Amino acid sequence: MNQAQIEQYVSGRLSGAEAEEFEAYCVANPEFAKQVEFEQRLRAGIAEVAKGSTAEFVRANAEPRWKLAAAASVVLAIGAISWAAWHQSNKLGRAVMAAVTTEAQRNGTSLRLAQVRGAESVPALGSTVVRVEIVGLFDSGALYNITLDRLDEQRVRTLTTLYGQHPSTPVTLEFMLDAEDLPAGSYSLRVRKQSSDEEPLDFGLVKP
Amino acid sequence: MDFVPGGELSRRIREGDVSAESELIRQFEPGLRVLLRRRTGGDHGLLHDLVQETLLVVIQRLRGAGIDDPGKLAAFAAQTARNLAIASLRKAERQKTDIDTDATDRNPDPAGAVDGRAADLEAALAVRALLRELPQARDRLMLKRFYLDDHDKEMICQELNLSEAAFNQALSRARRRFRQILEERGFSKRDLLSDR
Repeated sequence: MNQAQIEQYVSGRLSGAEAEEFEAYCVANPEFAKQVEFEQRLRAGIAEVAKGSTAEFVRANAEPRWKLAAAASVVLAIGAISWAAWHQSNKLGRAVMAAVTTEAQRNGTSLRLAQVRGAESVPALGSTVVRVEIVGLFDSGALYNITLDRLDEQRVRTLTTLYGQHPSTPVTLEFMLDAEDLPAGSYSLRVRKQSSDEEPLDFGLVKP
Repeated sequence: MDFVPGGELSRRIREGDVSAESELIRQFEPGLRVLLRRRTGGDHGLLHDLVQETLLVVIQRLRGAGIDDPGKLAAFAAQTARNLAIASLRKAERQKTDIDTDATDRNPDPAGAVDGRAADLEAALAVRALLRELPQARDRLMLKRFYLDDHDKEMICQELNLSEAAFNQALSRARRRFRQILEERGFSKRDLLSDR
């Protein structure tokens, strides 16, 4: 007797005479019989599990790499759809922020922002690419995220976020902002230290 | 091979050797369970009763008149089990059509039915654990196709683009793990390794 015969017996594919011979062999051979009973129980267990649903048998691979890829795809898809919808409905155009990487950027036009009590005017954005220089107290060893929001009458809408920026100095954080396609209106820049509960720095801006 | 020396067992039992009776029970019970499991539809209580009844009939026969061909003791026990299972089935059919007031009055212990259900659930739990452990969707689908859909190996190999060797290996691995899970949880001891 072999595994193939066990499978045939358990699935009911042996003829009557073959099954009787098989059963007599089982009775005479307890170790073999135990092997057969495991097969019977496996089949019974699978049938029991499948009674409600067979979803457990056909779910996707649980391998983390696949999960991550799937999750990333979903996030990208949602991001792309959201961006497209936002772009269509708001026609805000590009609002790009980037790290300062070249000397030309460092020496180019800049906009300095600092929190000044009682300031009577709001800094204005031009229609070009500008280096924004935020003055404050920064942790040199930390990374900062910078978020640009558009302030409508009814709500605040996040346009873009620049992640993981190192301060240039303990009192300066710089980045490039391309405001060319931003429509006229009020904006806000929030600077938040990563992995920290510290209150973010918040700067109001206006594009005439 | 674990062939029971039927002739010798028969002789010893006829001579009143109690240890021979214990040996017969130990050796025959797993096979009787296989045979009767197939005929009791997952009713663990009925399975247990029929195994006991079969062993009792066989031992009483050996203590008394004996059997014509002691070398075919295992075949005799298997046939006894089949006969008892058929008788039990007929009895159940009669009870389905005629209200048996005596049986109703006896208020039968529902433990048998509960136990039968529990036996299925134990296997189901082990299968669920097994499915969680199988990282490849292909392996899980393979089990479904083989055990649930009753597809033959060739068809499954074709569908899942598997060689026969890979199929056998994956199936063997799943069986081994299923057995381990049952044993780790102690599920198998009562059912499969009973040593009376």
